[in-house]
Amino acid sequence: MRKISEFEMPDLIPARMLNEFTYCPRLCYIEWVEGEFEDNADTVDGRFQHRRVDQSQGVVPNPEEVADFTARSVDISAHEIGIVCRLDLIEGKDGHVIPVEYKRGYVPKIEGGAYESDKVQLCAQGLALKENGYECNEGLIYFVKSKQKVQITFNELLVNRTKQLINNLRLMIASEKIPSPLVESSRCVRCSLAGICLPDEINFLKNPENRNEEIPQVRKFLPPRDDQIPLYVTGYGQTVRKKGERLEVWSNRDKTGEVKIRELSQISLYGSADITSPAFTEILQRNIPINYFSYGGWFYGFSQGNSHKNVELRIKQFAFAEDKKRSLKLAQMFVYGKILNSRTILRRNDGEVSDEILKSLKKLASDAKSSNSLQTLLGIEGGAAQIYFSRFNNLLKSDDSWYSFENRNRRPPKDPVNTVLSYLYGVMVKEFFVTLNTTGFDPYLGFYHQPRYGRPALALDMMEEFRSIIADSVTFTLFNNGELSERDFISRGLGVTLTPTGKKAVLRGYERRISTEVKHPLFGYKVSYRRIFEVQARLLSRVLHGEIDVYPPFLTR
Amino acid sequence: MGKLRVYIVSYDISDSKRLYRVHKTMKGFGEPVHYSVFRCNLSDKDKIELIAILSEIIKHDEDRIMIIDLGFLDGYVDRRISLIGVHPEEDNNESAIIV
Ligand code: SF4
Repeated sequence: MRKISEFEMPDLIPARMLNEFTYCPRLCYIEWVEGEFEDNADTVDGRFQHRRVDQSQGVVPNPEEVADFTARSVDISAHEIGIVCRLDLIEGKDGHVIPVEYKRGYVPKIEGGAYESDKVQLCAQGLALKENGYECNEGLIYFVKSKQKVQITFNELLVNRTKQLINNLRLMIASEKIPSPLVESSRCVRCSLAGICLPDEINFLKNPENRNEEIPQVRKFLPPRDDQIPLYVTGYGQTVRKKGERLEVWSNRDKTGEVKIRELSQISLYGSADITSPAFTEILQRNIPINYFSYGGWFYGFSQGNSHKNVELRIKQFAFAEDKKRSLKLAQMFVYGKILNSRTILRRNDGEVSDEILKSLKKLASDAKSSNSLQTLLGIEGGAAQIYFSRFNNLLKSDDSWYSFENRNRRPPKDPVNTVLSYLYGVMVKEFFVTLNTTGFDPYLGFYHQPRYGRPALALDMMEEFRSIIADSVTFTLFNNGELSERDFISRGLGVTLTPTGKKAVLRGYERRISTEVKHPLFGYKVSYRRIFEVQARLLSRVLHGEIDVYPPFLTR
Repeated sequence: MGKLRVYIVSYDISDSKRLYRVHKTMKGFGEPVHYSVFRCNLSDKDKIELIAILSEIIKHDEDRIMIIDLGFLDGYVDRRISLIGVHPEEDNNESAIIV
C-alpha cells in the first residue's frame, strides 16, 4: 500500500500558502495537504477585489533595462529560496522594483499597519524578485477598502523571519502531521475553514479529562443550518430540465416544480425520473451530487463532478480499515451509540417500558464497547435490536389496526410501518453517502460493515447511531400525527409499497426532522441534524488522523 | 455567516441584450416581484457574488442597479413589505423541494 510519506514534497511553495502558514499552520495544512477549500464572504470578496489585477499577464522588462514601468499579475518562480508567486502589481522606478500586494478591507489598526502574514508574503515576493536579478528592498500593501498603501521595508529582521517560516513550512509538510488547532484564538473567527477544522471541538476532545466536564467552552463556527436545499423527484415520468439559472421539473406538459441552481445542495431521482443532458452537465460542473434510487427507495448510486481532492484522508481510511484492532474500536463506538440512542427513544416515548429493558440495553451498550471481535459485536447489536423492536409497537399511539407493527421485516417489507422504515433507511444511506463524500471519505469502505460490491459500508456505519433518532422517530411521528393514512400504501403480492403521495409525506417528514436545530450534547451549541452529520464525519476524520483517540458518537439526551 | 438576509434588487438597463443577461442572472438569485424588481434571500457570500457578477455585465456609465437590505430573513421582514394587488407568494427558503 502506498504510504503517505510517498507524497511528493513540492519544490516551490506558493507565497500565498506562506501567508496562510503564518496566519495558522493548520489552515495551511488543511488547504494544501488535504486539499480542502471553503469560500466565505471574505474569500469571495478577495477574489472580486483581485479581479482587475488578475485579468492580464503583465510583461516585466529585463533587470538591466528597468526604467519606469508597471506590470500587473506576473508569475515568478525562484528556486533557491523555493518560492513561486503571482504578483498583483509591480512598479519599476529608477532601477528598483516594488511589488504591490492587494488586500481587501481596511488598513488594520496595528503597529506598522499590516499583519505579519501579509508582510511575510510580500517579503517572499521581494526575495523571489531579487533572485531573478532585480533590485528590490521594499514593497507595498494596497488596502482596497481604505484605498491606502502601506509601505513595507524588507529589513534583515523581516527577511530572516520569512526564511525561517519557509523552512518551518517545509518541515511541517515533511512531518505529515496536521498541526494542532489554535487555542481560543480570535483568528479562527475570520478563518473560512473553521467549520472544517473545528478548532474548539478538537481541542476539547483531545483532552480526555474534558469529557466529564459539563459545559465546555466551545465557540460555534458552523452556520446552524445549511442554506442549500435538496430536490427530490419522486413522481412517475418526470424530467428535470435546465432553464437559465434554474432547474425545472416537468411531467408531460406541466411544470411541477422549479429551483434556483445555486440554491441546490443535492438532487435525488427516484425510479424513471429523467434529467436532460444540459441540466446534467450544469449540475456536475457545479459539483452538486445526483443520487439515484429505485421507485421503492433502494439507493443505487450517484453522480458527481470532480471528486474530492482529499487523497490523504482516503489513504488513512484504507490503512485504518486494514487494521482489525483499530477498526473494531470504531465499530464498537458506532454500535454503542446506536444502542444508547435507541434506548433513549424508548425511554422518552414508550410510557410502559420496564426498567429491566432499559437496564439490559445499557448493559448491551457497555458490552459493545468491550467486545473482543466483530462477530461478538454483531451478536450484541442483533440482541439489542430485537429488544428495541419488540417495543416499537408501543411507540405507535393509535388503535388503528391497519398499521400495527409486529417485528422488523424487509425485502419486501410486509406492513406499512416496515415499508416506511425501509424507505427512510434508504434516504439516510444517501444522506451519509453525500456527507462522507464531501468530507473526503470513500463511502464504500467501512469499519463495521464489511465491504461488499456496491454497498456503501461507511455510510451504513455512520448512520447506525442515527437510525433510531432520525428514521425511526420520523416513522412513528408520521403515523401518530395521522400524516400517513391507509390510502398512502399499496399492498401487492408479498410486500407493501408507498404511493406517490405517501412518499412525499415521508420525505417531507424526514426533511423536517433533519432541518430541526438541536443542541449538540458534547459542544452545547444548537445546529441542525444535517450539520451534525457533517460534524460527526469530520470528527471521524480526526480519529483517522490520530488527533483524537476515541470516536465520540452523537448521543441524544 | 450562514444567516440569510432579504434584499430588494431593482435595475434600469439601457440595452436590451444586457437587460436580458441581468434578468437571467437575477433569476438565479431571487424571485421576480415586479418588472425589473427582484426579491433575493442571500448570505453575505451570495451578495458579494451577485454584485461581482452584475458588475461584470452592466455598463457602469449607462446602467444602474439598486440593492436594498431589508434585514434578516425572519417573520419581521414581511412586515416591512406592504403588498397591494396581485403578488406571488414570498419565498422563505424553508425546506426541500419534493415533486
Ligand atoms: S479555525 Fe483556527 S485553528 Fe483552525 S485552521 Fe482556522 S485559524 Fe487555524
